[in-house]
Amino acid sequence: MDMETFSQDPSTTSKGKGKSYEVEYETLSQKLVEELMQADVEHISAIFGVDSATAALLLRHMDWNKDRLIDKFMDNASSVNVAAGVTPASPASSPGPDRSRRSTRTTTKSLKKAEPAPTPQPFVCPICFDDSQVETLALVCGHKFCTGCWGAYVSSKIREEGEHRIICMGENCSVVAPDPFILRALDDDAETAARFQELVVRNFVASNKNLKFCPFPSCTNTVSCPAAASRSTLTTIVPTVVCGADSRHKFCFGCPIEGDHRPVLCAVSKMWLQKCHDDSETANWIKSNTKECSKCQSTIEKNGGCNHMTCKKCKYEFCWVCMGPWVEHGTAWYSCNRFDDKAGVEARDAQSASRASLERYLHYYNRWANHEQSAKLSVELYVKTEKKMEEMQLTTDLTWIEVQFMKKAVDEVEKCRTTLKWTYAMAYYLAKGNEKELFEDNQRDLEKAVEDLSELLESPIEPENIPTLRQKVTDKAVYVSKRNQILLEDTAQGYLEDRWRWNVAVEGFD
Amino acid sequence: MDARLRRVNKEIADCKNDKSTNINIELIDNSPFHLRGSFEGPEDTPYQGGHFEDIVIPDSYPFQPVKMKFITKVYHPNVSSASGAICLDILKDAWSPVLTLKSTLISLQSLLCSPEPNDPQDAEVAKHYMTSRSSFEETARYWAQVYAGAPGKGKVPKVGAQDAVAIAGLEKAHVDQFEALGFERGKVIDVLRRLNYRGANVASISEDKVVEELLKN
Repeated sequence: MDMETFSQDPSTTSKGKGKSYEVEYETLSQKLVEELMQADVEHISAIFGVDSATAALLLRHMDWNKDRLIDKFMDNASSVNVAAGVTPASPASSPGPDRSRRSTRTTTKSLKKAEPAPTPQPFVCPICFDDSQVETLALVCGHKFCTGCWGAYVSSKIREEGEHRIICMGENCSVVAPDPFILRALDDDAETAARFQELVVRNFVASNKNLKFCPFPSCTNTVSCPAAASRSTLTTIVPTVVCGADSRHKFCFGCPIEGDHRPVLCAVSKMWLQKCHDDSETANWIKSNTKECSKCQSTIEKNGGCNHMTCKKCKYEFCWVCMGPWVEHGTAWYSCNRFDDKAGVEARDAQSASRASLERYLHYYNRWANHEQSAKLSVELYVKTEKKMEEMQLTTDLTWIEVQFMKKAVDEVEKCRTTLKWTYAMAYYLAKGNEKELFEDNQRDLEKAVEDLSELLESPIEPENIPTLRQKVTDKAVYVSKRNQILLEDTAQGYLEDRWRWNVAVEGFD
Repeated sequence: MDARLRRVNKEIADCKNDKSTNINIELIDNSPFHLRGSFEGPEDTPYQGGHFEDIVIPDSYPFQPVKMKFITKVYHPNVSSASGAICLDILKDAWSPVLTLKSTLISLQSLLCSPEPNDPQDAEVAKHYMTSRSSFEETARYWAQVYAGAPGKGKVPKVGAQDAVAIAGLEKAHVDQFEALGFERGKVIDVLRRLNYRGANVASISEDKVVEELLKN
């Protein structure tokens, strides 16, 4: 027990207030990520007794998986070194990773032979054929090229290909340039060096399941959320995180949705969004608004007229009501009493089922879309509220700080509308039962409270009733916030208790 | 002097001086950055004859690969039969700045010797290669005669409607058979080529299937 308390890092600046619907996470600046990376590098460097540049190459080769690297390295250090491009492949072993799949060995003279003893004749760079260059660079493999060519090569790899793994220019050579070498080759090109550093950090973050970049444009922060690192936890939590740079930088750690989709699980949200986007509902519309000719199966939409239908294609005459042949109806369909006719009943059943399914979907979709629209309109509400706040300051003796309650209330409304929006996606997929009823009760209470508060915010301001309004709005905002918490907390608890039942197969559930 | 220009000039000069390889590089429009390379198709392959490439030297050469494509039409799994685009690793991610125009052209020459049908540029040609080697080689040889001036039996055939069947690598009897059903000849060739109606495949593709495809468009 003591051991566990020891291992906990006291200096973490983690957020998350211990509510069951919130996850613990931490915002890291690029600098902090670099420090984390450096810690890994130093760890490996200390274990293997290699310099940190080599350790970095080894780690990048193994996608920053320390355990696997240690395993493999202890098993066969030299083969890991060769594969990571730390040391050149010995001529006896197979040449580096499919570098020469189809290329022929050309007549390029072997530079290796010339390497050991410094050659007296002037050095001619095999890339630019310049013999006036004095400064040369070579990696451990000894392939020597002039500094200018190295610089141009490294910067073209970084800038044009976005590559951080830069292999030696020598033919069939798979030695990778370590960081100090790259910085030296780039000389004083600070911009490219920064780009290189960024590529390395990106590689580190992409390899690390605990980390995710903030997806908002030009934001350089990273969020660390170990709780949501494995896919299996996404069946019990919705990891909404906010990057420290801006409260609007809210995104989901578990899926690509850039926003808060609580209380709905990632897998369910994805299904819902897909359903809203694809045209599966078009098919439902066709099913519920058209019928098929029972003889030739052509799709027919009845747009007026009597129920004596004649199929345009096959000339089959039938009754639109019971779908049975018209001949059995005599002259008046009003005497159509064939309700017990099996074929007719089945046809109607299938149709009403798909009509009901469409209606059900539209019920949830309309409410979802309505809340989304309202949340979007909140920008306007902000402007309006700000005006009202100014008005209040002018007409009464309330100070700026005392009218902030309006703004807070608008924030709360927007937040709750986002929650409400997603509750409709949730309800669409919840299987019928007591649990769903309870969920919908919570949803109703929240919705009612939000609508009341919204209305209060829109109400006209009379100088004499401002104190009451202020009291009412503040009370209501607190209540709304509480209801939102209750709903989120209850759903989150439900995930942990495995209480929710779905009416479709959801990824991660059996 | 610009390093790229110096390097290209040297490469062109090297090629001129080296008489052993039969590789030539010429300037197009007097620009050293747009070239035409040529080599002899390797002996004992269906590709005997003269082959020409269009070579563009990009601005970041030699740190980025040269852009090459065949001007001469080539029937080969790794070369597009329509555009001449080449699928070769050293022209893409396996490029290294120490590679030269000459070494790249030599690599192309050796690509002609050893096709890689599992990583094709032209899927139809690759399918042909996989189903019937002999029929594939016949077609490749025919293309070399028509386009690359390879020595053929008797007179050099001219490209025309007459040869469309051979260019597509099909049997004249098969084309005639479906043309006799009233379909246009060009369309029959097109469909049969797409279905890879060659060699052992003929037995596995029913006539109905062919007719169905022919009726489709």
